[in-house]
Amino acid sequence: MISGEKQDALFPLILGSTVHDIKNSLGILLSLIQQISVKHAAEPLDEIRQLEFEANRINHSLMQLLVMYKIDSNKFSLTEDEYAALDLINEAKAQQDPFSRLQNIDVRIECDEDLLCYCDYQQISNALGTVLNNAQRYSHGAVLISASEADGYLRFCIEDDGQGYPPHLLRADLSNPAEVDWVRGNTGLGLYFVAAIAGFHKNRDKIGFVEIDNHSRLGGARFCLYLP
Amino acid sequence: MKPILAGKSILIVEDYPTMRKAIRNMLYTLDADLITEADNGENALLAMSKTNFDVVLCDYNLGPGKNGQQVLEEARQQKLIGYHCVFIIIASEQSASMVLGAMDSKPDEYLAKPFNAQQLFVRLERNLSRKALLNTIEKEVERGNLAQAIQQCDKLLAGNHKKVRTHLLKMRAELATLVGDFDTGRRIYTEILRERDLPWARLGLGVIQFQAGDFAGAAAYFEELLHVHPMFLEGYDWLSKVYEAEDKLHEVQEVVNQAVDLSPQSILRQKKLAETADKIGNVEVAEKAYKAAVSLGKNSIYKSCSDFTNLAKLYARTHAEDDALKTLALMRKEFREDPEAELRATTLEAELHQNSGNSEQAGLCLQKALLLHQQLGGNTPKDLQLDIARGCFLQDKAGQAEAILGGLIKTHIDDDQFLDDVRRMQSSVGMANHSEDLIQNTKRALVATNNKGVSLYKQGKFKEAMALFEQAIASMPDNKTIIINMLKITLHDLKANGIDEEKLLRAQALFKKARQIQIDRHKLGNLQMEFSNLLRQYHEGAKI
Repeated sequence: MISGEKQDALFPLILGSTVHDIKNSLGILLSLIQQISVKHAAEPLDEIRQLEFEANRINHSLMQLLVMYKIDSNKFSLTEDEYAALDLINEAKAQQDPFSRLQNIDVRIECDEDLLCYCDYQQISNALGTVLNNAQRYSHGAVLISASEADGYLRFCIEDDGQGYPPHLLRADLSNPAEVDWVRGNTGLGLYFVAAIAGFHKNRDKIGFVEIDNHSRLGGARFCLYLP
Repeated sequence: MKPILAGKSILIVEDYPTMRKAIRNMLYTLDADLITEADNGENALLAMSKTNFDVVLCDYNLGPGKNGQQVLEEARQQKLIGYHCVFIIIASEQSASMVLGAMDSKPDEYLAKPFNAQQLFVRLERNLSRKALLNTIEKEVERGNLAQAIQQCDKLLAGNHKKVRTHLLKMRAELATLVGDFDTGRRIYTEILRERDLPWARLGLGVIQFQAGDFAGAAAYFEELLHVHPMFLEGYDWLSKVYEAEDKLHEVQEVVNQAVDLSPQSILRQKKLAETADKIGNVEVAEKAYKAAVSLGKNSIYKSCSDFTNLAKLYARTHAEDDALKTLALMRKEFREDPEAELRATTLEAELHQNSGNSEQAGLCLQKALLLHQQLGGNTPKDLQLDIARGCFLQDKAGQAEAILGGLIKTHIDDDQFLDDVRRMQSSVGMANHSEDLIQNTKRALVATNNKGVSLYKQGKFKEAMALFEQAIASMPDNKTIIINMLKITLHDLKANGIDEEKLLRAQALFKKARQIQIDRHKLGNLQMEFSNLLRQYHEGAKI
């Protein structure tokens, strides 16, 4: 019989090796889908795009789950360095590309090439990808991603032309899991996740945070991520 | 996407064929045309020994055998890849970087699975363009031409390279530290810290204090750094260095232990922990760490037979003879026909036999050890020579022991840590202070030689001074103090009495020797700087 303690020690190992396995399979699945879509480039199939999108989503959720598990067990830490903000935006855009093409969404970028951002590249590009995914889902056809300096922070904004955030979400404290809407789709969960990642970014007395409102230049929802 | 990979040689290391094919297809979309593939670590290293790759994409998990990190370590150690090579480790987990640190080789980038062509492109472009820019500096550093490296660095800093500016400043500060220009180093780190609390800038300030000999100040910087950035492993490595310099072995063990907890896969830290705990008699910690080092060494370039024998020695000391013999048998299996391993095993067997009262067998083993030592012809590592000397003392062969010790002490007279090892060995055989006279006499002789050489030089007798040092070096090969003195008077002579080709060649040979016997880079730094300035003057003069 396995004692409780042993099980506790075993669980991270099982989780780790399971995730490793799933990730390998997902990687292959994604590359197979890409190969098929290249073959059908002349006549792109919506089904293939949908397939690619869903596989990406599984990967994203898996990654979120893993990060949340690590945060919960105090094993999470950032790997920070200096990167071009544009690289981060491009990476997030590339992640969500299949969906943008599927829905015919025009994703525009506004970012100075020399703008630098000190952060964990993987986490922040994933976080931006998560928000971009939400924005695309609720937009009517246009999304704008931008980055600029604001008050000693680097600010990433993702704006869409949809209906805007519902009032209850605008009122919620995103860093408080009790106030996040867990049931209705993944918007609340995604925002909670991004807020958690933002909060790990610190410089001196400044801490990263997120803000949402409906002041989008395109008329819909606006999400802003501030990194110190 | 720009065709950044056209004409570049690329190696894919991945054990899973479908995955290899997927990566290759991605690379084709970036216009790659020179792609080599390897399905395991051994084959990857073989490919690297044949081709000088521009890019290596290496999966971390390569099945049985070496993992991606071990491939990287071996490639760097054996100089199979140059500075220009972009080495990317592909991992299914994002936290791989967490377990690595200063003691380990770091790849240029980690890439988490799954990834697409765009993600690969961003990383390759970022690293290729950075390396292209910094290559000139790295090349000069490699050549030991530090003045030139600093000039290049300043030139790039004056240009408009915003994306690599922080990186350049870090390099500039490190170069300043290396040549002993501590003020510049401090200024750069302090300015950086005013903008952002970057762990490496804090570390740099501590390193400068350490190099300046202010151990307490250095320790304070490193402790504060670890308080704020507990995951920054280089901080632990440097803090343990400070304690080691202060001979505070209990503190060394504590700090290395913390680092090992964070990075249990790091073989070099496990070794360090094992050896430190062993020295202070903490058997439990030492055994655990030696075992870890032995098991991590299996596929590593840092695999070493001394980890096995150290573990066996530990067992011998705690009267676990069976475990000691088992460990030795395991080592012989892992190091077939390796003379050093055989010598280590035989030396220890002599002691094991003696412990169990079998003095005839013990005598035979010691004889065999002495013969093997002779056959190694001066290549026996110093710690092993010390063990053989110990064996001789234990079997009442003081004469043979002293012959070995005499050579060891002469060669390592300026290595205080090793001299302490000699003293510890003498105590362990109940002959404390036995070598003290020899150590003190050798030290006095060395000081006398150095003083005499320097005073000869001051009297203008450069040739006589050099001859004296040459003679001393013949009887104390690899003595660092003498080599440094020879370098100092050679450089002074160049400055005072003019430069010619022959003198330059001689100086270059001395620098080469200094690097060979591993004189601390920081001790050589300002001498190298002086020399590169002289070289520049000479070449500029020649142009006119």
